[in-house]
Amino acid sequence: MQINDTLKPTEVALLYQSHHAWLSSWLRSRVGCHEHAADLAQDTFVRVLRARQASPLKEPRAYLSAIARGLMIDQFRRRALERAYQESLAHLPEAEVPSEEHRLVILDTLERLDRALQALKPRVRQAFLLAQIDGVSIAQIAQQLDVSRATIERDLAKALGVCYRLRYAER
Amino acid sequence: MPNAENAPAQTQVDQAIDWLVKLRFDTPSPRTERQFQQWLASHPQNPQAWQRVSSLSDELAGLPKALSRRTLDASQRQHSSRRDHLKLLALLAVGGSLGWAARAPLGLPQLLADSSTAAGERRQLQGSDGSRIQLNTASAIDLHYSSEQRLLELIRGEVSLDANANDSRPFRIDTRVGTLGTLDGQLLLRENDNGLLLAVRRGEVTLFPASPSARLVQAGETLQVQANGSSQAVSLRSDPWGWTDGVLSVQQMPLGEFAAELARYRPGLLRCADEVANLKVSGTYQLADTGQILQLLTRSLPVRVEYRTRYWVSIDAA
Repeated sequence: MQINDTLKPTEVALLYQSHHAWLSSWLRSRVGCHEHAADLAQDTFVRVLRARQASPLKEPRAYLSAIARGLMIDQFRRRALERAYQESLAHLPEAEVPSEEHRLVILDTLERLDRALQALKPRVRQAFLLAQIDGVSIAQIAQQLDVSRATIERDLAKALGVCYRLRYAER
Repeated sequence: MPNAENAPAQTQVDQAIDWLVKLRFDTPSPRTERQFQQWLASHPQNPQAWQRVSSLSDELAGLPKALSRRTLDASQRQHSSRRDHLKLLALLAVGGSLGWAARAPLGLPQLLADSSTAAGERRQLQGSDGSRIQLNTASAIDLHYSSEQRLLELIRGEVSLDANANDSRPFRIDTRVGTLGTLDGQLLLRENDNGLLLAVRRGEVTLFPASPSARLVQAGETLQVQANGSSQAVSLRSDPWGWTDGVLSVQQMPLGEFAAELARYRPGLLRCADEVANLKVSGTYQLADTGQILQLLTRSLPVRVEYRTRYWVSIDAA
C-alpha cells in the first residue's frame, strides 16, 4: 500500500476554509442540533486527513457529505447497539454487570463484531457466533449445522477476515 | 490510523487466520503445532501477522458471553427488520405507488408478515403442504419447499410446527443451534439464552440427524438444547404451548422470570426490582393485553407498576 495517497495537509486546510461552513449547515439541517453538527463537521475533516484519497478532489462537497453521512450512520448504529446492550443488561444478575470502564471496551468490540456480522451470510454468521461467543468446537458445529468441517473452517476464516479488516484497516 | 507501511501483506494475514482457526477453534494435534511453528518462521512478516490476528481473537474471546450474545442478537434483529423495510419498499415500487398500497385490502404489516412478527404479535400460517405453523411474538421464519424436502428456517424467536403427515417429504428445520428433522411431528421451538427449547407434542423429532450423536425426541418430551449440542430434559414453570392458545400459563413462577416472559410480548423495557423478583406467580393470563396482566399483578402481589414512559415500565415493591 502506498503511503503518499492521502490528501496533503495544505489541501485539507484549503478544503476546510472553502467548505467548513457549508458542511456545518448541511449537517445542522440533518441532525437538527448546532453543537452536534459542529462535532460531526470536525470529525469529518479528521477523517479526511486520514483517508486514502488520490488528490485533487473533483467534487469536494460530494466527498465531504459522503464522509459525514457515513459518520452519522455510524453514530446511529452505535446508539442502537448501546440500546441493545442496555436492554440486555436488564436480564443479567447484578454481579455480572461489567464496570463502566470495561463497558466501553466491550461496546467498541461489539460494535465491530456487529458490523462484521452484518456483512456475513446467515450460515457464516451462525457458525461464527457458535464458535466465537458460545465456544462450540468446529466438529460439533459441523454436525449441528449439517455441513462439512471444511465448510465451517472456511466460514470462520471468512468471518475473521472481515473482523480483521474492520479492526486494522479502518480509521 | 492505519500504519500501512507496517501492515503485513494480505497473504500473510490470510494464512495467520487459517492457523488461528486450526489452533483456537479446535484442539490442535502436536503435529499441527509443529507445522504452525514452521510457518511462523517461514516468512519475516508471519510473526507480526500472527500477533495481530491473535490479539484480535483475544479481544473477541474477552467478551462476556451471555451479554454479548443478547446484545448482538438484538442488534442483528434491528438490522434485519430494516432489511424487511427495504424489501417492502421494493415491493411498493413494483406495485406502482403508495396510494396503491393504502387502497389494497392487505395492509402494510400483512405484506411483510408472512414470515415475521413484531413484539406482541402472533401469526398463523399454512404451508403449501398443509402443515400448520404458528409464529410467536418477535419471531421470523423462512419456508422453502422443494421436491425432496420441506425446510423451515427459524431466524429468530419462537415457532410451533404441526407437520402434515400426508406429505412424504422429510421436514428439515434449521435453528441457531443446528438442524432437526421430522416427518409428522407437532413441535415447538424457542430460542433462548442457552440455545433452544424443543417441545414435542406428537410424532417424533430427530435432533441433529447428521450427527453420530443424533437424538430421537418423542411426543411428550421437552428438552433444552445447548449451543454445544448437548440436551437435557427440563420441567418448566410455564406451559410452553400456552401462547399458541393466546395465553401465558404459569405455576409458581418467580416474578422476575414472569416479567422477563411478559417483556417478550411488549416493545420497550420491562424491569422487575430485585426485592420482589422471588415472589411467586401462578395463573393463566390473556396475552392479548399485557397492560392488564401487569394490573392484575398489583392485585395479587405486594407490588406496584410504574410507567416511567410507555416503553419503560418497572415492577417495584408496593
